[in-house]
Amino acid sequence: MYFNVKDVQQFEAQKEFIDTAIVPLLSLKFDEGIKQSSSAAEYLMSLTAFIEQQFKGRLMLLPPFSYTEQTKSGLFVPLLKEELHNVGFKHVLFLTCDHSWTSLMDQIDVIWLPSIPLESMDKEVKKTVLEDQLKQVIPILSSKWTQS
Amino acid sequence: MSNNRVSRRQFLNYTLTGVGGFMAAGMLMPMVRFAIDPALQTKAEGNFVQTSQKIADLTEEPVKVDFTFEQVDAWYKSDVTEAAWVYKDGDTVIALSPVCKHLGCTINWAGDSAHPDQFFCACHAGRYEKNGKNVAGTPPLGPLDEYEVAEKDGYLMLGKKVANTLV
Repeated sequence: MYFNVKDVQQFEAQKEFIDTAIVPLLSLKFDEGIKQSSSAAEYLMSLTAFIEQQFKGRLMLLPPFSYTEQTKSGLFVPLLKEELHNVGFKHVLFLTCDHSWTSLMDQIDVIWLPSIPLESMDKEVKKTVLEDQLKQVIPILSSKWTQS
Repeated sequence: MSNNRVSRRQFLNYTLTGVGGFMAAGMLMPMVRFAIDPALQTKAEGNFVQTSQKIADLTEEPVKVDFTFEQVDAWYKSDVTEAAWVYKDGDTVIALSPVCKHLGCTINWAGDSAHPDQFFCACHAGRYEKNGKNVAGTPPLGPLDEYEVAEKDGYLMLGKKVANTLV
C-alpha cells in the first residue's frame, strides 16, 4: 500500500492484514555530495517501490523521511516507531542507505543497504539488481512475520 | 481584356461571397470534424504486447514472463513492467496474472515448499491451484485473472486482463 487516498481507504477496511510499515530514511546533501545523495535517493525509492509491489497487501510504504546533516537531529526515529506501533503497525521497518542509523539498531529495526548507482544501468540490469536486493530484504521480512 | 467588365457592385459581391465562404468554412469544418471524430479514431489492434518468450519453449511448468508497455497518466508517461505466469496445458497457452486477489501482492509459483504445485502469496499465505483457482480456507476470495494470449512469429503476445475462464 502506498500512502495515498485509494490505498489508505483499503487499509482502513483491511487493517488486520496490513501490519507492517516501511519507512525510508533519506539523507539529502547539497554540497559536493549532491550527486551521490541523489543516486542513493533514486535507489532507495526504486527499491522500496519494488518491495511495495511484492508485498502490497501486507505492508504500507510511507513517504520518505528526508533530512540533511543539520536537520537530522530533529528526527526522532524511535518516537516515530512508537507512534506507528500505537496505531496498529506491529512491525515498523526503517530502510536507509545512511549507515549512521545502524547505531540505533537496539531500539528500532533498521535495514541498511549500501546504495547502488542505478542511473547508469539499462532497464534489464536494473531489474535484476533490484530483484537481488529484494532477496536480501525478504528473509528479514519473513522472519519478522513468523515471529508474531 | 474582355468586353463585359466587372462592375464595382459585382466585384464587391464576388469578393464578399468568397471571403464569407472561407470564413464560414473555417468555422464549420472544425465543428464537423469534432462531430464525426469518434468514428475516425483508430482502435489499437487489441492492445497486444510483445514478450520475449518463445511459445515453443513453454512447458507445463509455469514460468514468469515480464512484459513492458507504456502507460500514460495525464501528462506523465512511464514504462510499466508487468509479469505473467505462463504455461502450456496441452496445446493451449495459459497466462495468469501474478496479482493476488486478496490485497494485490505478487504471487509466486511453488513459493511454499509444502505446496510445490501451487501458486503462493507470501503476505498472508494465500494459495492458488495451477489453473488459478483459489484454495479454500486461504485468504483469497477469487481465482487469479487471466491474460488474453496470441502468437506472433513464434513469440508470445499478451493482451487484456480478463476474469479467469478456466475455473
